[in-house]
Amino acid sequence: MDFSFPKEYQLFRRMVRDFAEDEVRPLAKAVDREHRVPFETVKKAAALGLMGVPFPQKYGGMGGGEMGYCIMMEELGRICTSTATVIGAHTGIAAMSIYLDGTEEQKQKFLVPLASGRLIGAFGLTEAQAGSDAAAIKTTAVRDGNHFVINGAKVFITNGDIAGIMTVMAVTDPSLGAYGGITAFIVETDTPGFSIGSLENKMGIRGSSTAECVFQDVRVPKENVLGQFGAGFLTFMKSLDIGRASLGAACLGGAQAALEGCMEWTMAREQFGVPVATKQSVYFMIADMAAEIEALRSMIYRTAWLIDTHQPHIKEAAICKLYGSEVASRCVHKAVQIHGALGYSRDYWVERAYRDARIAEIFEGTNEIQRVVLASNLFRPYGMRIPS
Amino acid sequence: MKIIVLIKQVLDPAGILVRRDKEKMFINREEYIVGPDSKAALEAGLRLKDAGGAEVIALSMGKPRAEDALREALAMGCDAAYLLSDDAFNQADITVTASVLAAAIQRLGGADLIVAGRESGDTGAGQIGSRLAEALDYAQVTDVHALAGEQGAIQATRRWGSGYAAVRAALPAVVTVAPEAFPARYAHGAGIMNAYREWQVTTWNAADLGLGEAALKPLLTFRGESFPPPLPVGEQLRGAPASVAHELITALELQKVIG
Repeated sequence: MDFSFPKEYQLFRRMVRDFAEDEVRPLAKAVDREHRVPFETVKKAAALGLMGVPFPQKYGGMGGGEMGYCIMMEELGRICTSTATVIGAHTGIAAMSIYLDGTEEQKQKFLVPLASGRLIGAFGLTEAQAGSDAAAIKTTAVRDGNHFVINGAKVFITNGDIAGIMTVMAVTDPSLGAYGGITAFIVETDTPGFSIGSLENKMGIRGSSTAECVFQDVRVPKENVLGQFGAGFLTFMKSLDIGRASLGAACLGGAQAALEGCMEWTMAREQFGVPVATKQSVYFMIADMAAEIEALRSMIYRTAWLIDTHQPHIKEAAICKLYGSEVASRCVHKAVQIHGALGYSRDYWVERAYRDARIAEIFEGTNEIQRVVLASNLFRPYGMRIPS
Repeated sequence: MKIIVLIKQVLDPAGILVRRDKEKMFINREEYIVGPDSKAALEAGLRLKDAGGAEVIALSMGKPRAEDALREALAMGCDAAYLLSDDAFNQADITVTASVLAAAIQRLGGADLIVAGRESGDTGAGQIGSRLAEALDYAQVTDVHALAGEQGAIQATRRWGSGYAAVRAALPAVVTVAPEAFPARYAHGAGIMNAYREWQVTTWNAADLGLGEAALKPLLTFRGESFPPPLPVGEQLRGAPASVAHELITALELQKVIG
């Protein structure tokens, strides 16, 4: 059993770390403050292949697999959760859904521009009445000759207003329910009838945009059906399963940043005539952070390995998201405490980290849903069905 | 234009803790990187390739692990990479290093331009460019801040006292570049993957280069190492943070460091 990263991944991590330190960090505070997407960073990331890390090079990707993708998400999460969110939603669920279930023609037409970063992707699942209960969507797609006509509205869509391509889940046969009655579509956002409703004014990840996307008689050609007709719910769930590992990786980066920041601060900050790092009440917190981070790191990269070697990974990916988001939240909570009043100040990075971390317990399936996924997978071999 | 870029792999200084009080250097994390000056040399070579089409070959003499530095050079855009590695090179001083590199360059059929960093990130002798130019009988321009190719020659801007001098050198030539003038590009992610999965680094040993014991005998003997004298510490400001900040700003303004 060899736990070391292959050398290409070691070099890739160093490249992404340099990129994140030199290009992402200088903007992290400003994009949060100004509530704007760092397009300049996205453009630079695209030029380095970072908008398509997991995908094969024949589709315009980098060929880094889930392992490479998790490394990038960790390094971006360490510096700027907003940037990680923009690139993560684009890659990990939007482009991923086309990579997983798209036809060769769809991959050439849609995945190539996404993976090379010419277009940004979004993943249209959530609706006002369908959050955790994803199968309760109301958006419909009705066949009209060689087209489908989509009507409805998606909410809380990361990249919704900046995406060129959106994968959308819609009801095609209400009588058949989640399995059989829901189909996934690829929608080009310049299609007439697609519009943006309101933009969310969020607590954190303010350097990413979250939009309401309205579909009014949006006609998409039947060639844009993604995956099997009627199996859209499965396509979307599969994408989310993989996305959860990399979301955990971004949390790992956030937690790691909190640990590093706390160590630096506690070695420099003196109280009672000594660095506060020497105080048990402080270093116990730091030791706890380090222990959880180490467990998370093993979990993330083992799950990435499961995905890259085509082994079952649903349970492990759910744990990555569940545990990762909670570790990140606990670490930033401790980071605020360790920094005292400074940690509560808008002028310091800790406050932003605290706000940014919270979303990971909610999006891409709340942590409660992760527990449902987990329990379902635990009990299924015994014939016990866990209702959602 | 055929360009050979010299690469030196050095210990990552970020993994080193220097304890002046103990006169010791502790290696917390033993990781090796392409030296910053070598990266600038790569950037200078690759810019010429971008500008007018050139073949860029990366060349390094070092331990077998230096292969990683060459793979990084490939990832950044070099067309080929050669590693010169042999236990017989372990005692090489700067004279021997120049002979080994010269032998390899001759085996490669020479070059139009050889680019090296101004000085290496570890020993920092800053001699390899000049030594190599002498060994190969090439023109040399050191401490280059800007570089452009033209038919049969290069135009370079080099440091000249407190200013710069514009010089022209007929090819073949050796240039050493200032790291601050050529901030290196990031390697493309796909290039990094391919550098390890698809592309090759050729390794040559002493026998491949036809170098016998006599050619590898160093002229210098390593006797020991010591810390340089401590740098004089500037003025120290102490007191309440607000007043220290005020004093600092005033001091910097007086010295015209800030406006």
